[in-house]
Amino acid sequence: MQNIRVRFEKRGRAVYISHLDLMRAMSRAVRRAQLPLWYTEGFRPHPYLFFPLPLPLGQESCCEALELRLERPMPPEELLRRLTAVLPEDLKVTAAAEPWSGAGEIHAAQYEMKLRFADEAAAGDWSKSAASLLEAGKLTAKKTGKQGRRRIEKEIALAPLIFHWALSSEGASVLLKAALAAGSTQNLNPALLLEALFDHAGEPLSFSILRTALLRADGTAWE
Amino acid sequence: MALAQLEPLLRQVQKPGRYTGGEPGSVQKNAAETALRYALCFPDTYEIGMSHLGMKILYGLANARADCWCERVFAPWIDMEALLREHGLPLWGLESGDPIAGFDLIGFTLQYEMSYSNILNMLDLARIPLRSAERATLAPLVIAGGPCACNPEPLAPFFDLFVLGEGEEVSEELLDLLLEHKRNNSDKQTFLRAAARIPGIYVPALYEVNYNGDGTVAAVTPKENAPFPVRKRIVEDLDGVYFPEQFVVPLLEVVHDRTVTELFRGCIRGCRFCQAGFLSRPVREKSHGTVDRQCRALCENTGYEEVSLCSLSTSDYQELPALLEELLAWTQEQKINVSVPSLRIDRFPKEMMERLALVRRSGLTFAPEAGTQRLRDVINKNITEEQILSAVRQAFGGGWTAVKLYFMLGLPTETQEDISGIAQLAQRIVDAYYQHPEKPKGKGVSVSVSAASFVPKPFTPFQWEPMDTCGQLREKQALLRASVGSKKISVSCHHVEISLLEGAFARGDRRLAAVLEEAWRRGARFDGWDDQFQPGLWEECFARCGLDPLFYTARRRDFDEVLPWDHLDYGVSRRFLRREMERALCAETTPHCRERCAGCGIGCKGAP
Ligand code: SF4
Repeated sequence: MQNIRVRFEKRGRAVYISHLDLMRAMSRAVRRAQLPLWYTEGFRPHPYLFFPLPLPLGQESCCEALELRLERPMPPEELLRRLTAVLPEDLKVTAAAEPWSGAGEIHAAQYEMKLRFADEAAAGDWSKSAASLLEAGKLTAKKTGKQGRRRIEKEIALAPLIFHWALSSEGASVLLKAALAAGSTQNLNPALLLEALFDHAGEPLSFSILRTALLRADGTAWE
Repeated sequence: MALAQLEPLLRQVQKPGRYTGGEPGSVQKNAAETALRYALCFPDTYEIGMSHLGMKILYGLANARADCWCERVFAPWIDMEALLREHGLPLWGLESGDPIAGFDLIGFTLQYEMSYSNILNMLDLARIPLRSAERATLAPLVIAGGPCACNPEPLAPFFDLFVLGEGEEVSEELLDLLLEHKRNNSDKQTFLRAAARIPGIYVPALYEVNYNGDGTVAAVTPKENAPFPVRKRIVEDLDGVYFPEQFVVPLLEVVHDRTVTELFRGCIRGCRFCQAGFLSRPVREKSHGTVDRQCRALCENTGYEEVSLCSLSTSDYQELPALLEELLAWTQEQKINVSVPSLRIDRFPKEMMERLALVRRSGLTFAPEAGTQRLRDVINKNITEEQILSAVRQAFGGGWTAVKLYFMLGLPTETQEDISGIAQLAQRIVDAYYQHPEKPKGKGVSVSVSAASFVPKPFTPFQWEPMDTCGQLREKQALLRASVGSKKISVSCHHVEISLLEGAFARGDRRLAAVLEEAWRRGARFDGWDDQFQPGLWEECFARCGLDPLFYTARRRDFDEVLPWDHLDYGVSRRFLRREMERALCAETTPHCRERCAGCGIGCKGAP
């Protein structure tokens, strides 16, 4: 038995694949690639596929991770070659290796959010108010959670979940880079942060979100 | 269309994956190097169209040719349609993103009458003139095929030609001919006259229809030596005919998302209501070796973890034991499920059943269609209550707890007794569960009864029969619901106005084209969807065009009336259909084809 962690990009048209659909697409891809998959026991055996940090619909990423379990070892290069051959171009595998850090060690994710405005002035204004909002550290967001069986709406403070941010604007667009809490204990969806900013600073014409790196607690890359 | 143009729209619609393309298995070609551009259109959502085997076959077949690039087009959902209109974007092919108005061939598949308004809508979104007469040039040629092409008359003015019967061979011939005429710069009329000489191709503009004062058809007259009648095409050799080794694997969940192949075409049973059974005669089987090979290749190339064997009545496949032996050997090893729909488990070796169940515990479904033996004899549905009960007993012992039953309301000669008979049969299944000594512990049983409305269809023995009105159907549905006396039984019924419209278009004539166009103009879309269908709108459009849907549905036709589809020949003779109708009225059954040939007229090679 061998565990392999595959890193892949989810870009372009692939942003419209939901997490559930991605799991289906990947499990079909690993079958097409004829990997020596390990299957669960039981009535309906299925392969072991694990996504340590699912990506929300509509966001791009160049650092997604997927863990596979093989029945017998296969050289990572071979696995990479086979997966590349069977995946659509917008889902591109970039690396494969035996994992050396656990999924629980993911602490943060780095994002690049690009916002487009009508003109340079609008971009500049937005950037300024966003900066002061972020500095003030008072942003909140509504999150639906569960309390027992009931669905409840709660307000959460965003500041403790924002580890780092930087704003820059160029022409009519603004680039917001941020490291946000990520993982199973605490997690901030960048779309939620943008929404909070839009509430106060106004909406851009369009925007895109790209996840660029997964980080450990000490700030080094999670691999 | 460039993704950049589509992008802002995709963020505003449900299920954007319907519109992106780029799925594994989708075909990319160089547009500059392909002589023919072909848009294969399915007039319903992506999820439904992507589940359809015929689309997969034609897509693969056309793309296997170096001279043709075939792309998929589905009906955009309401939300996307609104955005496309708002932004002035035309309908495009999923593979290239190019507007389909610039293609050579636009092919629609006609699966269901209720998708007709979507066809007009798709043409309009593509900026293609709706009527054949308004399209002067050879390209784009707008064609259609599929089961509803057996009476395409309500669609006749919109299409340049229809393909009758099975499409594989005709498609090749048609693409060859189109290419030749495109190279020669032929005009559309020259091409259509040549196309009409290909067996199985019906060019509606070459036939003139005259009506009697009472609205019935007086005569259909061929012009310019067009063939009369036009005979449907069938593929003789299912082992030799093209079948894809690759499917487009959708990236969002669709209705049937799996490897699928047919075991045979046609049906030996002769259920009198079943249009598919008569249209697809005679029975032709694939050899089990072919089926097994196709399943293997498809599983390898798609990564699907399920194989489905489909045909009209799967248990009638003569090589089924040998096939399952072969299939189960490798599918079990590769953890692939095999599902065999419409399997009659009562006639199946128990040991094989267990192996199947081991791989796939699919639902238990039966289609008795009618509630009493008498009515089942009328419709020639050869299944007895005892067979159903013994099958469910066996299944309950094996752990099943859910049974689905399919029925029809409004069948010819139906009485109240037949309707309460549906509830009684469901109740006997519930009782059988609780009396079963080995029933699953601690679980209840659920029996779901689905009651469709009977819609008489062309090329069936009931093609002359009146259909129930909405009021009659509603009463029958109420009676059925009232007859059910157990919470374990759930009843679902069809929308009666949708059934009425289906009935009108199924046996309609060319005059209905005006109703359809008017309804589309006023916003009819996705009429088969209960939540989209607008009964009032259709009613108004019929009235405006001076037509009455009941003329098409509720009227008993004389045996000597000229039917709107009489100039089309699907092989089964009118004489046979009439004989079957008369036997139906006496509740006399007709044995299936392997027991005794009923002389249907198709002139089967294998007729015993
Ligand atoms: S010719 Fe005879 S055996 Fe063949 S389909 Fe018709 S009835 Fe059946």
